[in-house]
Amino acid sequence: MADQNKTAEVKSSNELLSPSELFEARTRSHKIPVRGQKDFLPSGSDQQRERLQQSLQEHWKLVSEERVERLGNLVKAVWIPSDQRVELLSPAGKFWQTMGFSAHGKQCLHPEEALYLMECGNLQVFYKDLPLSIQEGYETFLCSKTMSIHHYKVFGHLKRLGYVVTRFDPSRVPSQYERQLNLAQSRERPGRRLKRKRSLSPPSGHTETQEGATAMGTEEERDGNREEEDMNPMPEDTNPKLKDTNPKPENIHPKPEDTNPDDTQMAAQDDPSTTAEGCRSWWSKGGSPHPDLPGQSQNTGSPRWDFTSISFPDLGSRHQHPRSLASPDPCLLPGAVGSVGPCDVVPWLNRLNLREVRMSRREQERERDRDRYHRDVNLDREVQRCRNWTEYRDLLERRSRRRHRDRPAHLWEGEVTPLHDPSQVCLTGELMDKISVVKSTQLFEGASSLKCSNEWRISFNIYQPDTVAEFKKSTPGKPYSRMCVCSFSGPVPDLQTLKVLAFQSGDVPVTYAVEDHGDISFYCFKNFQIPKDESF
Amino acid sequence: MDLSEANITKQVSKDDAGEGSMARELIKINFCGSTPLLWRTEDLKAARELGFVGTLVGSLARQPRQNTRLGRPLELLLEEGRLMADMERAAVSGLDSKSEDPEVSPAVVEQYYAGLENSFQEQSALALEDRKMTLTRVLTEKQKAMSVQLCTARAGLAHCPQERQFLTADWPMPQDERCKCRFQVFKDLRRRGFYLTSAGKFGGDYLVYPGDPLRFHAHFIAVCVSMDESMPLCDVLAIARLGSNVKKTVLLCSSGESQDDEREEVVYTSLQWSGMA
Repeated sequence: MADQNKTAEVKSSNELLSPSELFEARTRSHKIPVRGQKDFLPSGSDQQRERLQQSLQEHWKLVSEERVERLGNLVKAVWIPSDQRVELLSPAGKFWQTMGFSAHGKQCLHPEEALYLMECGNLQVFYKDLPLSIQEGYETFLCSKTMSIHHYKVFGHLKRLGYVVTRFDPSRVPSQYERQLNLAQSRERPGRRLKRKRSLSPPSGHTETQEGATAMGTEEERDGNREEEDMNPMPEDTNPKLKDTNPKPENIHPKPEDTNPDDTQMAAQDDPSTTAEGCRSWWSKGGSPHPDLPGQSQNTGSPRWDFTSISFPDLGSRHQHPRSLASPDPCLLPGAVGSVGPCDVVPWLNRLNLREVRMSRREQERERDRDRYHRDVNLDREVQRCRNWTEYRDLLERRSRRRHRDRPAHLWEGEVTPLHDPSQVCLTGELMDKISVVKSTQLFEGASSLKCSNEWRISFNIYQPDTVAEFKKSTPGKPYSRMCVCSFSGPVPDLQTLKVLAFQSGDVPVTYAVEDHGDISFYCFKNFQIPKDESF
Repeated sequence: MDLSEANITKQVSKDDAGEGSMARELIKINFCGSTPLLWRTEDLKAARELGFVGTLVGSLARQPRQNTRLGRPLELLLEEGRLMADMERAAVSGLDSKSEDPEVSPAVVEQYYAGLENSFQEQSALALEDRKMTLTRVLTEKQKAMSVQLCTARAGLAHCPQERQFLTADWPMPQDERCKCRFQVFKDLRRRGFYLTSAGKFGGDYLVYPGDPLRFHAHFIAVCVSMDESMPLCDVLAIARLGSNVKKTVLLCSSGESQDDEREEVVYTSLQWSGMA
């Protein structure tokens, strides 16, 4: 251990300034002199030597200057090694907007932030009641693997340029799903819960036409009736309310003012002819294969309606305008409604847009060309023979198989088949994709399953300098880039590293800061798509 | 002020050749991680006089928020540090990792604050002399108006672990082939009087200056290659292209076979792009 009684033999091996020097330092210039032009070859001339001496003197003057600050301008802080943080003892200054965090109710700084502020002359960090020098700051704060001197050099470089640099936290990167939903903002604000608005289903304001009219079945009503609604595969065009003849009227009537005298459904609910099991007697009529539906289970096959005998009026047709529609067959109506009388069509027609489409000459020609080869699928006899969708699909498959029967066996039956059948229609782009054997890949492909090595990690988030004014630590937003620090003496990042880090970073590009003796170069890797030529 | 550290520093260099009996201080190299740094201005000056330039990597005290001119610490190349140590002009000074943080006696803290108070009194007196009315008023009333120094180099206040000096044989440098080659090349070029700095951004190992980098441009980019290994032609082309773009000559440097008691030879090949008109 050193003998504390020996006095120093040297004038000052430390670089402490005397009080008078400190006093003089107030009027120091803050300008940096501009460096002059360099010479090419040393000529040994006096002039050169003089200029060198001058440059050197200027250089030493700048380098030897010590930081002198007004005591009142310094923020005081204390180093807590166990937590690896610096805790402020006096209130933070302007730097608090972009740096620091709160812990245990106190304002704190990360070691690299504290060191940077020390170098700027804004902060004085104490350890065991005595202030730390910059050197001690470097040696104490920069010992860990996540924050070494290399990281600090990059950190300092970017901070001096004005960027906002924060530590990277992988758990705060919004996932791809969150990004899709644009939930990024709300995620940054914990504790604010999104309340789902609860609203009563608005009543059905539409007056229905008579039987079988296309559903104005409102979503809300469906929601309200969901527990009672059965999964009976009825045709879509029935109002679900009609289906669900549940004798619990309070589900159906959300608002008392909703009294629509024309609404036949309302009447249906109170109809005493409906039974407790939601019987559907009214839509089974003569000719249906299952005439007695009351009490029948819900999941029987759909009763057959004879659509040939039920007339669906075509009110949109341009040629016929019936003035009124006859009353429908009473057995098609619910319950004991009976005959409803003819329906006046005119007010309904007024609600339809029956204007003739005026096509320009070119559009007419286009329509004609399009229709030239148009074969009405309904005129196809084979299609007419299909009774339902399944049979139709079978027919399509049979037809396509027939088409493909004319493929030469030597090409198509072996192990190696052609990439494309020329008889098949294909867009040029699709064709190019088919025959391209080498597929291009994106940086993110397969990245989620890769493991990150311990050597490579993202260290910082970088935000641009012009965002400083509005920057909020609690909602920093999307960073401009994320930084990974490496050096020329280490390996070049391999593809696995690139993928893993790009994936970790989400939609923010990753920049690789290569630090080499104070020189920092920035590299980034981007996806590149070779443009496809589809002109032929 | 506890200046126990001064005792460690004040070691006399044995090599007094041609310098009379002037005692020279050893340059203190401090490691931060695996990076050698110089912190004291006199060490920087001494290093530069020996021809070791280094790079400044800290903020400049006068204007910390810019990147054009940086300040202390000075980062040394590993080769620079090692050569300095070999020349017995420098010694590695580092923290003894085994020692714990010493307990700070309250006396030391008292001493520090007494120093502050003393400084305050003196500064107030100076302000009075200066007769600047506003300054006087403020300075004599509150201590917070006084100026304090934020030390760059370690001030030796004994609240951090004491420094120890390591033997030069313990120079912490990886001893693989590439490093050996680099060191040989460095030694040789230095012996010839060139100034060297790092050349990572030029794709090489060293930038070679004919004189002090403050006044001269670099002439060469030195790339260290192994004598035996063959270099692919496209690499040669790449480095030559690069050199011609920045108007510097590329030097391929290889250190010869090491023979006992004989100085190792370094072989240089220069590449210059020339057209055939």
